[in-house]
Amino acid sequence: MEADNRGLSYLESRKLVKRWNGPWPAIVNSLLIFAVFYLTWWIFQDPRGIFRMYTPYLGYMVCRWLLILFIWLAYIFDFWPFKHSWLSRAHPVVKGTVLTAFCVAAMILLTKGFFMGVLGRYGIAYFSPDRLKDMGLTEFYAEEYAAEAIMMFAAIASWLSPSWVVACENAPWQKLAQPTRGITIAVVTFFLGTIVYFVTMHSHMAILFYPWQQYTAITPPYWEGFANTVSGNFHIAWIMSCTVIVWVYEGIWERYPFNLIQTDWLRRTAAFFGIIAVALCLCFFLYYAQDLAWGESIRGTRREMAPDWRWLHVGESAIFWLVGVLFLNFFCGNYPTQFSRPVNVLLRTLISAAIGMAVYFLYYRYAHLILGTQKGLSHPQQFPMIPMIWLINIFLVNVWFMDGWPGWKAVPKTAAELDATEAEIVGHDVAWTPSLAKGLVVGTTAGVAVYFGILAVLPWVGSLQMVK
Amino acid sequence: MNDQITTSRRDFVKGAATGAVGGVLAGMGLYSYSGAAYDRLPKVAREQHDFGAVRSVKVTSISETSWFNNAHLMEDIRGAGGLLVDQYTIGWPPFGNGKGVAKGSYAEGVASIAKMIPSDPVAAWAIQAKQSVHPENPGGYSCLIEVEDLDGSKHKYLLDVGWSYDWMEQSFKREGIDKMLASGEIEALILTHEHFDHFWGFPVAMQFNNKIPTYAHNGFYKEGLQYIKDSGYKGDLKIIDKQMTQIRPGMMAIKFDVPIICRVYGEVSLAFNVKDKGLVLISGCNHQGILQMTSTAYQKLKYDNDRFHGIYGGLHISPFEDWDPKYDDLVISLGKWNFEKVGCNHCTGHLTAKKFVEAGYPVVRGTARFRTSSPDYLGNGDTITF
Repeated sequence: MEADNRGLSYLESRKLVKRWNGPWPAIVNSLLIFAVFYLTWWIFQDPRGIFRMYTPYLGYMVCRWLLILFIWLAYIFDFWPFKHSWLSRAHPVVKGTVLTAFCVAAMILLTKGFFMGVLGRYGIAYFSPDRLKDMGLTEFYAEEYAAEAIMMFAAIASWLSPSWVVACENAPWQKLAQPTRGITIAVVTFFLGTIVYFVTMHSHMAILFYPWQQYTAITPPYWEGFANTVSGNFHIAWIMSCTVIVWVYEGIWERYPFNLIQTDWLRRTAAFFGIIAVALCLCFFLYYAQDLAWGESIRGTRREMAPDWRWLHVGESAIFWLVGVLFLNFFCGNYPTQFSRPVNVLLRTLISAAIGMAVYFLYYRYAHLILGTQKGLSHPQQFPMIPMIWLINIFLVNVWFMDGWPGWKAVPKTAAELDATEAEIVGHDVAWTPSLAKGLVVGTTAGVAVYFGILAVLPWVGSLQMVK
Repeated sequence: MNDQITTSRRDFVKGAATGAVGGVLAGMGLYSYSGAAYDRLPKVAREQHDFGAVRSVKVTSISETSWFNNAHLMEDIRGAGGLLVDQYTIGWPPFGNGKGVAKGSYAEGVASIAKMIPSDPVAAWAIQAKQSVHPENPGGYSCLIEVEDLDGSKHKYLLDVGWSYDWMEQSFKREGIDKMLASGEIEALILTHEHFDHFWGFPVAMQFNNKIPTYAHNGFYKEGLQYIKDSGYKGDLKIIDKQMTQIRPGMMAIKFDVPIICRVYGEVSLAFNVKDKGLVLISGCNHQGILQMTSTAYQKLKYDNDRFHGIYGGLHISPFEDWDPKYDDLVISLGKWNFEKVGCNHCTGHLTAKKFVEAGYPVVRGTARFRTSSPDYLGNGDTITF
């Protein structure tokens, strides 16, 4: 109750405590999560399974929109219309089931109802499979094109919606009660998302059709010269990088370093645009890393040599890192925590990147033996983002909706802990001193050296035969 | 004093840790996509392997119509669960089992026709027509390649064997392939990849010659290899496991390890060095991509005039009359490679052929006979000589 009075969200007001000592909670939860992942993958996505939604775009749309609904429910709406009192006393399995079912229903309502039924019928034809089919497309591609467009909205929302909470701290509506605050932020981020969609993906959709729809979209798209492709995958690259960096910033970076800025509006603005800047750094690096590893891309080729695929693979690679980030944050207690925040941030970044690379390697080496997918790096109808986001969704259900059951349980934070949570928004643990400045210079020099060291190693990495 | 030193050291470490992350990010952001970064990419030396030359290459399209109704094909793929579903389970002939879409089975399909292949494939197809989905839809892809050596001698090769037993038998007979196979005039069969429309007509070819030397990519799945045996093949199966396999002087098979829709892996395409003209590329579906193949040939092979003379085959751009902006990247970029003759059909996509023509590329048009639907394609019964 005290947390409610302070205006803290449910997630901020609870503390997850281990039910058993040692690594057992992480081990048990991981096993349970992977079992649920495989079971649900088989039922819903697997090309050998029951519903076979991995067509691929139908399954892609579903998992991305589920992710957004989870974020909206937990972060934007603070679980409204569900009451905190119910969240505190209901059994985690019941909560997980009810909240997931609620999100699934909302996802169906949004995708089929709003996008296909309203926007596709009365606004933009390519959102509606029925309209596309009526114009002569096969049913399969009518559904795929519509799902692709709808999915892209979710990709943009998966960056903007949490960014408004994490970076902008819900400002200027942070004092509003739910559902007013949730609706406001959802509408605002949806509006911004629509603008981003129109300047990033609308042209991509417009050249799916013959002739290029030049009266309704900019064709050829403005990014052609810079990105060396007319494909919207260029935007997937930086938008997915933004999505990942939001959670890196929120989770393993504990909002460092922008939380050191004491002025609210400056901190929020710096964090919002800082996330984009960091994401662009990641995006350009991951693209260049592929050129170093596999040779310079050649426009017009297909698969791993094509610029469009490499931009897509930037986003895919970033998502592998996100799996590592969330695993470390959710199930390893954000290890390590014993050092100063900057050192923790550095070590977590390294550890999560190592986990991400391991998952990347394991995926491309073995996923085709398990997930019903095809072996190889660049199958044009295969998106590793689908299983990775599916897995992340299950992480979120477990931690956000089920309080980490069975390995963890939620207990209310004490007044002191609530104080600390409030204080965390603005950091005071790093202050400007001459020693800090010297450290920054030395660290930056070392960081640049490490970066060039990585570049030197990448051609060798590219020579390894990853897929067998 | 000690406290001060400790604080100072701590601050230094905090700064160093922050700077390390910042330094890496700065490198990533400022250098990675810059001109300087790309200047340091190593220039890859061309190997220019001399593989001989031929005087000419003639291609006869036996059949390029892999299916006759795209909507029906896509309806089956959609019903089965999309483009990643195993082709042997979709329920198409000859692996239908009467259970409908997505419930097909290699074992049950073959069991129903085992006694009729390869001796009577038409009868086998009639049985399958009763227990598979859309049995009237399959056609197939196959072409005859006639290579003229520098000394004037000629050598024939069959590239792929199509899909429908009925259609392929008609097509083979129309072009005299049945007699060429039976007489041993065709020296080898090259299976480009395992897809239904290139490979499942195998028993029809076996009916005429089940000992013909046959080349196949080493990515064939166990069902595909079993199908070769179950079709009564008794010859020398050559599994291509190297990137470059020379078939004869001036004729090279290039292997690409690429994942392909409907659970197929890998494709083999052909390259010819035509004396005084340049390189000719012939493909089944070209799942690896035309320019991927072109750039590989550019990198590895030596050919006359150091130019690309021609290309023939399914170019796999919009096989289901679908589209994606990345296909426009190809349409925009193809011109840079200066092909003198482009003979396209099959999975190239009619829209792609139309865009090639609009872009001014030298597309060799066909006659639209024998159920080929557009003269933009080199169609069934048409020929092209390089």
